[in-house]
Amino acid sequence: MANLTTNLAGIQSPNPFWLASAPPTNSGYQVQRAFEAGWGGAVWKTLGDPILNVSSRFAAVGFNGQRVAGFNNIELITDRPLEVNLKEIYETKKKFPNHAIIASLMVEPQQEKWHEIVKKVEDVGVDGLELNFGCPHGMAERGMGAASGQVPDLVEKQTYWAKEVAQTPVIVKLTPNITDITVTAEAAVRGGADAVSMINTINSLAGVDIHSWNTIPHVAGKGAHGGYCGPAVKPIALNMVAECARSPFINVPISGMGGVSNWQEAVEFMLMGAAGVQVCTAAMHHGFRIVEDMIQGLNYYLDERGIKKVSDIVGKAVSKYSDWGNLDLNYKVVARIDPDTCINCNKCHISCEDTSHQCIDMLKDPSGKSYLKVREEDCVGCNLCSIVCPVDGAISMVELPNEQPPMTWNERQAALQATAVQRLDV
Amino acid sequence: MSSYHEYMAEREKIDFLLQKGFKITAVTENLSGAFVTFERTENNQTEQEALHILTADARKYFSSVLIQQV
Repeated sequence: MANLTTNLAGIQSPNPFWLASAPPTNSGYQVQRAFEAGWGGAVWKTLGDPILNVSSRFAAVGFNGQRVAGFNNIELITDRPLEVNLKEIYETKKKFPNHAIIASLMVEPQQEKWHEIVKKVEDVGVDGLELNFGCPHGMAERGMGAASGQVPDLVEKQTYWAKEVAQTPVIVKLTPNITDITVTAEAAVRGGADAVSMINTINSLAGVDIHSWNTIPHVAGKGAHGGYCGPAVKPIALNMVAECARSPFINVPISGMGGVSNWQEAVEFMLMGAAGVQVCTAAMHHGFRIVEDMIQGLNYYLDERGIKKVSDIVGKAVSKYSDWGNLDLNYKVVARIDPDTCINCNKCHISCEDTSHQCIDMLKDPSGKSYLKVREEDCVGCNLCSIVCPVDGAISMVELPNEQPPMTWNERQAALQATAVQRLDV
Repeated sequence: MSSYHEYMAEREKIDFLLQKGFKITAVTENLSGAFVTFERTENNQTEQEALHILTADARKYFSSVLIQQV
């Protein structure tokens, strides 16, 4: 079995799977049950001034029979008194000394407030702190959460205030509700952050009831934007992790989250630069025991490849993530249809004919039997037919040998530039 | 005509000029495609030809030729 232990900026954990700061980490009872189930760490639901929540507060976005493709909430940070949470953190840490307990924190942007809360939570033995600069609703209206997280100067300043007194590693959790997440990630690094975590939830409205015209969810007939998470946000989160991982100015570990539901997605985040992952929606949907599959799957994956430590895969795919201008314009793939597997549903023909490049012909063989064939010379390799095909293996994308040497857009522009200069010289 | 055939027709014109010893000396690109100027010098006489390239694949093709030239 591979070694699954992780070390994120000095925070040790028996495996890379942490519960994210959210309803699953609201109390000692829950976190202890999670650790018993196998979770390596937990980021305690955000501590701050006791606040009041509303009812109702969650909504799910289903798609095509899947019940929780996306998830939306208008819940705020903990509504339990700080002293109660601290007592439970202390008890949980005593019971599970080898598991990571990170306290998520959110207070007003004032130096003394940060000093006060950092000292209090460190006194009960947390392994690290996560500064919540991401929650998009409720607290943001009071200048906290995403309201702070969208202003790089405030991210830098508040990180610095926390670091002034912190004895444990400080992770800064970033909001995705910003154009370029590397800007705020860099601000966190300038403020002294030991790590960054991403993504928090995305501004969202889950739906509108077309009969009552109420928002979903609604509170006595009124609604407000909430935070979106779950499987639907994974591509957005993965891109943001990758952008930070490949930035030369963000040289701290990344804790990745956003739609991680299984071990495969955890591996994706880790390959793209995350030193560990945080999970919330999947645990809310299926319970704490999903971590068993995650641990087992990750173990098999590593063993199959002869990888001894999970930390060895961190960032291994980052160099493959670049800018469009560095892609080879002469690389060519085409679709190929396997007539023995194809069920002749014609979905590929329709999508290609209507919305792509009209390169799939409907033909008949000598016996009069219909079949589909790609005119490879006209195929641009867009993937659409293989995406819409309902049968695995019926359409494969095949690489063709390069007729021309590799050429990127950037190389092409440089060559054009050089030609124009030569022309002027003539 | 399929886009492949359009590309092949343009590529043939490019190849024809290259085979005759022409080289790409200027490219002007705009919304209508690429205007590619070819030149060759023989016996101190400079001869010029121009092609209007419309297809994306042909633009890739002459760009690859250009990079080899540069």
